[in-house]
Amino acid sequence: MPAVAITGLGVLSALGHGVEAFWANLLEGRRNADGAVPPFERRAFARSPFGRRIDRTSLLALAACRLALADAGLAPEAASGDRAGLCLGTALGNLGETAGFLDRLFARGTANPLVFPNLVLNAPLAYATIELGITGPTAMVTEQEASGEAAIAHGVDLVAAERAAVCLAGGADELDRTLAAVLAEGRLLTRTVPRPLDPAADGPALGEGAAVAVLEPLAAARARGARVYACVRAHPGFAVPAPVHGWAGDARPVAVGLRPLLREVDVVFAGASGSPPRDALEADALALALEGRPALVTAVRGATGDFGAAGALDVAAAALAVASGVVPPTLGTGPRPRAGLAVVREAPRRTAVRCAVVPGLARGGACRPLVIEAAA
Amino acid sequence: MPTSGAREVAITGLGAVTALGPDVRTLAAGLIEGRCAIGPLTLFSHAGRCRIAAEVPEAIAMPLATIAPATARRLSRADRFAVAASAEACRDAGLDEALRRGAALAVGATTGGMRETEEAYRRRRAGEDRRFRLGRMLGTALSTSAAAVSQALGIFGPRATFSTACSSSALAIAAAVETIRAGRTPLALAVGTDQLCRLTYAGFDALQALDPEPCRPFDGRRRGLSLGEGAAALVLEDAAHARARGARVHALVLGHGTATDAHHPTAPHPAGAGAVAALRAALADAGVSPERIDYVNAHGSGTPQNDAVEVAVLRTVLGRRLPWVPVSSTKSQLGHTLGAAGAIEAVVTVRALADGIVPPTVNLRAPDPAWADLDLATTPGRRAALEVAVTSSYGFGGHNVTLVLARAGVR
Repeated sequence: MPAVAITGLGVLSALGHGVEAFWANLLEGRRNADGAVPPFERRAFARSPFGRRIDRTSLLALAACRLALADAGLAPEAASGDRAGLCLGTALGNLGETAGFLDRLFARGTANPLVFPNLVLNAPLAYATIELGITGPTAMVTEQEASGEAAIAHGVDLVAAERAAVCLAGGADELDRTLAAVLAEGRLLTRTVPRPLDPAADGPALGEGAAVAVLEPLAAARARGARVYACVRAHPGFAVPAPVHGWAGDARPVAVGLRPLLREVDVVFAGASGSPPRDALEADALALALEGRPALVTAVRGATGDFGAAGALDVAAAALAVASGVVPPTLGTGPRPRAGLAVVREAPRRTAVRCAVVPGLARGGACRPLVIEAAA
Repeated sequence: MPTSGAREVAITGLGAVTALGPDVRTLAAGLIEGRCAIGPLTLFSHAGRCRIAAEVPEAIAMPLATIAPATARRLSRADRFAVAASAEACRDAGLDEALRRGAALAVGATTGGMRETEEAYRRRRAGEDRRFRLGRMLGTALSTSAAAVSQALGIFGPRATFSTACSSSALAIAAAVETIRAGRTPLALAVGTDQLCRLTYAGFDALQALDPEPCRPFDGRRRGLSLGEGAAALVLEDAAHARARGARVHALVLGHGTATDAHHPTAPHPAGAGAVAALRAALADAGVSPERIDYVNAHGSGTPQNDAVEVAVLRTVLGRRLPWVPVSSTKSQLGHTLGAAGAIEAVVTVRALADGIVPPTVNLRAPDPAWADLDLATTPGRRAALEVAVTSSYGFGGHNVTLVLARAGVR
């Protein structure tokens, strides 16, 4: 199996547009309180005749794809055609237009045929392949909180199996009013700030965004003189006993599954969001699996807010950390993190990062870990 | 096979919950009888042009005893269909707890628990529930069906959920095949599930894609599709592993192909570019020539555009072989089950190969005159020695997947 390199990153989040804004703001410890991606010009990313119809989740994914291609120094033609692949993940997809569609259906008994095509979960995949001319293997993947990790893992598999010569892979989810209202009613969101991995956390803050990585065989990337952020290895993943709709209560099976991946790890990019059951599971599993290894832990959801595909941003941050030797701080976490983990707080940490792991834990017991490591 | 020494993938277990019945036995009987399961829509009211669907009777997909009652109450119909079909497939394959534990799970679906979520949303809007039921919100995510199958049956290997509209579960099967070929696990369960919901029903009707009468794939007067619901599950297994444990092999998966139109959000490419590429890629992956195809289980949705493009695709790839190959659409009996269609039609194709009986296209009175040379398999229960079959699924957004299956023992 050939090594798979990350040669480009495209990120949109509450921290801004593009990988530079994402990384600079993450390192400086900035937080955008409303969790929303700052406004951008639709036409900068949507150029096809269908461009005006593209929904927000799809537009975020498309924008991340275009930013990633530019970051990789690839013209769109270089990542199109039948040797190019695309894998996108989303947890909930186009919630905003789905609510609007149902509002009209319930109020007037009629459906809007122009909106309906946007409501399929693979709308981001359809629009991005049309806009970018990608006709090779493509997949829309969904796995609750690990939707971004699952999509990137599938993309890595496509490149490693030589089914695609280049593959864009990542995820997107939008911040929707109805979702925010329902979660707030259920007292599932923080009333102050999110505190990932802090025992005093009272919930996550909602965010939105997209991150996409350009994946190529390492040898091909080197041959074209591309900048290589890092290599990425996809673990096939595993599952553990858990409530169908909730987080696993027993961290031990998670630890057993993660342990082989953490033997060389320097930094864990945790999915912790400030959600007590989620953070408790992840912290306990990491502490058990690390077996005393002094690995650093950081969690970007303190800065970006939480959304289904946010794991794709973890992968981007991990690749940037491997490339730059800087680990971003976790916002909101106090001096005594859960399970005694060595959480990077307050300021970025300069240290060589040879190996970073994104655990990829999801509700319902799925685990989709990824290993991001320095290119050999 | 794609490369020498690659693992051969066998199908050793089948499960299905369809409008024809609660299991594969009733599905197979319905296919032989040519029974059309499309009837009046009863699950919800709809004010549009079309009032029919292929519904799964409510009584036949009850949750397993292995699911805690508090969880079972919160499962959607799509989740329950998936669990029931998966349980049948695992029983059929003789998978005990230890074998199930390490198996991979790949699920394809499009709307999952949307029916229950839209009802909760309606009640919230109407003021019938002061608050949205949070449990329902948590069950909206499409990967919930996979979690339900995994937790109900103790399947804890690699897990993934795919959603590429109507090709979702064909893609799940392809992914499960790759998991076995890569040697990650000798066993994988591939599942497709979807239920009828107001969103898809009203949406397809607004697009004028629904036939007010039961759908008539390949008929000259076809006017659209009929929606259906259900689930199917296939146990895929490394053939050497299956032999070693003495498992019965229903059929083999020889290959799969995936390609994308990159053309239009809903309409297929006019020449079927992606569908041709997927079929050719699947045949190449299987290492079989078009001349060896004995049966085509078509996507056959019954929309004027799909069927025309699909016949063009088959002409392009099969050429002069086409008139000798029976082509049929299972959607004429079960409706279009969207995310479940790929898996249901894979089960149908496996039974066709194993039983040597061509599944029919029902409701087909007068084929489109341009296709007079085609064998559209209108007679139910027709016997034929079938060795290699293809089944194709074409999704909204131009996502095409083709599978190549073969009767056990064929190489």
